[in-house]
Amino acid sequence: MYFFDWKVFLQYTWPPTALQNPLIRTGLIVTVVVSVIAQVLGVIFGLIAALGKMSRLVPLRWLSEAYIWYFRGTPLLVQMSLLFFGFGVTHIYNFPTISLGMIAVSGAIQAGTLALAINEGAYMEEIIRAGIESIDPGQMEAAKSLGMNYRLAMSRIILPQAAKVIIPPLGNEFNNMMKTTSLMQVISAGELFYAYTQVNARIFKPFELFIAASLYYLFLTTVWSLIQARIEAGLGERKGVERGPSMMQRLFSGAGKGVR
Amino acid sequence: MTIPGQPPTANPAALSSVVKAEAVNKYFGSLHVLKDINLEVQKNETVVIIGPSGSGKSTFLRCINHLEKINSGHIYVNGHLNGYSERNGKLIEDSENNIARQRAEIGMVFQRFNLFPHMTALENILEAPLRVRQTPLAQAKAEGERLLARVGLASKRDSYPNQLSGGQQQRVAIARALAMRPSLMLFDEPTSALDPEMIGEVLDVMKELAQEMTMIVVSHEIGFAKAAARRVIFIDEGQILERGTPDQIFNSPQHERTRAFLSKVLI
Repeated sequence: MYFFDWKVFLQYTWPPTALQNPLIRTGLIVTVVVSVIAQVLGVIFGLIAALGKMSRLVPLRWLSEAYIWYFRGTPLLVQMSLLFFGFGVTHIYNFPTISLGMIAVSGAIQAGTLALAINEGAYMEEIIRAGIESIDPGQMEAAKSLGMNYRLAMSRIILPQAAKVIIPPLGNEFNNMMKTTSLMQVISAGELFYAYTQVNARIFKPFELFIAASLYYLFLTTVWSLIQARIEAGLGERKGVERGPSMMQRLFSGAGKGVR
Repeated sequence: MTIPGQPPTANPAALSSVVKAEAVNKYFGSLHVLKDINLEVQKNETVVIIGPSGSGKSTFLRCINHLEKINSGHIYVNGHLNGYSERNGKLIEDSENNIARQRAEIGMVFQRFNLFPHMTALENILEAPLRVRQTPLAQAKAEGERLLARVGLASKRDSYPNQLSGGQQQRVAIARALAMRPSLMLFDEPTSALDPEMIGEVLDVMKELAQEMTMIVVSHEIGFAKAAARRVIFIDEGQILERGTPDQIFNSPQHERTRAFLSKVLI
């Protein structure tokens, strides 16, 4: 019969005490910051790949296809290990620590973020391309007939409309991203899960500690879901399109009155 | 029908031709959709193109502003070979920015309006002058509001396209095209997607416009053609079968196919 150690569990779950631990405090920040940066980069890589895949130039199409094929066809954990350990040992790139003022960004964080971003781009490509292709071709023709070049038509006419289609799945991708950052544990990148494994190495309470870790991820993904619901509700309203109640309104009826 | 007819082949030096198409051929794969099209449109002239669906009339219109490529022949707009340059007798497609510059001079109105749904009526009109022509905002706005008033929609400046009726959307689309001060307006079946009660309001705007603009209109609106067109062209299976004044085409068509087509349209 296992004796559940409530004291340890609460100490590493209750934020005022848990965040006193510098590993966990830093880990939480790293997880959030890395998720945001990797997702932003992932969207950029995905957009480039999507435009490449729709290009008239055959080499660009092939390049995009190869990128998507490789990064969707192999495990992220392997890609990350290859990038960090493989590139390091061959001196292709050592990922030296970069110091940004007061903060030192370790090579593991850089490599982990980059691996997450590149991998994410391969998935965002499909989401972004589907968004662009969902727009009536007449929109591009109208833009062109007004004298716009491809870049202007894309940035002013097509992408703003495609964004409405892209943003809901993008929100889901970000939710996944926050959870997937935990893979960086294998390269000791100092994110949230790594912090808990380090504590566990010291006091060996994996059951209590990993439940505590899971609750922090649950907190992050839940907060994000609420933000996402607000963003999506706002997207609909600006066009004068009727929308159902947002998740905020559904969860706390009345409290969502100020939500636009 | 009181508008005097212009012999189609005449090219008086006094009149400058805005569009000149010479032996234009186009294929979709093995399908020969435009066969040796020759057409000249003079300044301030309104030409209406009629013909059965699939006859190539819309394709020809789209070739004029290079939304479609041509396989051989020449299309000159304001004296410039549109979308191409010619080297050693071969057509070489222009750079994207050159094509865009040429298109800016040609207004186009589409069957399905193609307004930008994420912008208000006024924003739709301002977009190209601001971004393509770099017109100062105040000037573009004044011009945009004047155009909206001209198509009778001054009160709808802040409405989004999905808050406008089809007829209103098409009038905004016309104003949007006019905002670039084009020297030529192309209308691709501008009333075909409209409910019958809205066709009149769009045709009224077009009739007024026809008095001062060079226009090529693909349309089956015989009433419009009679009132506003100087010439009517009948296209069938990618060829111009007949051309003449509205009076000639509608009252005494020479070609049997024209007669057959008109008997279905004119009821």
